[in-house]
Amino acid sequence: MSKGRKNKGLRVGEGGGINMTPMIDIVFQMIIFFVLTIEMERDALDDRIRLAMAPDGPAVERRDPRTVTIDVSDRGRVSLARVPVSHDQLLAIMRNSVARYGQTTPVVIRGDIDTPHEHIRRVMDTCTRAGLFRIKFAAIKEAN
Amino acid sequence: MAHRRIRKRVADIDSELPMTPMIDIVFQLLIYFILTFEPQDVMAHLDVFRPAPDAEPREEMETPNVLQIVVYPDGFTLNERPMTLVNIERNLARLAALDRNQTVLIMATARSRHENLIQVLDLCAKVGLRNLSVVSMN
Repeated sequence: MSKGRKNKGLRVGEGGGINMTPMIDIVFQMIIFFVLTIEMERDALDDRIRLAMAPDGPAVERRDPRTVTIDVSDRGRVSLARVPVSHDQLLAIMRNSVARYGQTTPVVIRGDIDTPHEHIRRVMDTCTRAGLFRIKFAAIKEAN
Repeated sequence: MAHRRIRKRVADIDSELPMTPMIDIVFQLLIYFILTFEPQDVMAHLDVFRPAPDAEPREEMETPNVLQIVVYPDGFTLNERPMTLVNIERNLARLAALDRNQTVLIMATARSRHENLIQVLDLCAKVGLRNLSVVSMN
């Protein structure tokens, strides 16, 4: 009698508790996923480019996944996700983006503060030749 | 006797989920993230319209109703009058108060620094002018 009562008590205790282990596993998996993807996004930008300050410019709130970000160094070197590209290659890439996502594809030019405008002009002309007329210039609103 | 048995059962159930290793790992992760965290700069995207090269005749661009800012390597002009950024801001603010939708034509010379163009675009954003066109000069 006493043995049966003891078993019953244990069963109640085990059934009433929530098994936390799978939940903790999933939470950790999600943390690792987000940390890795944030790092990958940060690595795609060339940190040698010094951006100009625009304290009154509109802050980037939501990033369009179609965005093409073009880096232009102070010597006029053009690169996409840290990969140097020629203007012909850039034109081909932009035309491909237009064919896939349309003429509303956002283009962001990250130009160095010392880049002469002639280099920015060539990139803008490449964009317009591909059919993209809306261009954004990246700047720092608030330095941390 | 019964009390002792209940305490034993409670102790058994508690020992089923050892929290100490999990808390250890959570703290390790927390310390790792704090040490590796780098605060990101808040970015701004200055939106401009870029007319197609040689798509419009030059006379059409020089209509008197269009505000024209030229960015030179060593300064700026507003409607062909040399000005400092402070004066440009004052004039733009006055004009923006009349009509925020008027077109501002920003012309950058080939040797002007990109920072100067961003400064002008930032001023336009500050006073609320939205229709900005950037064209290039030789």
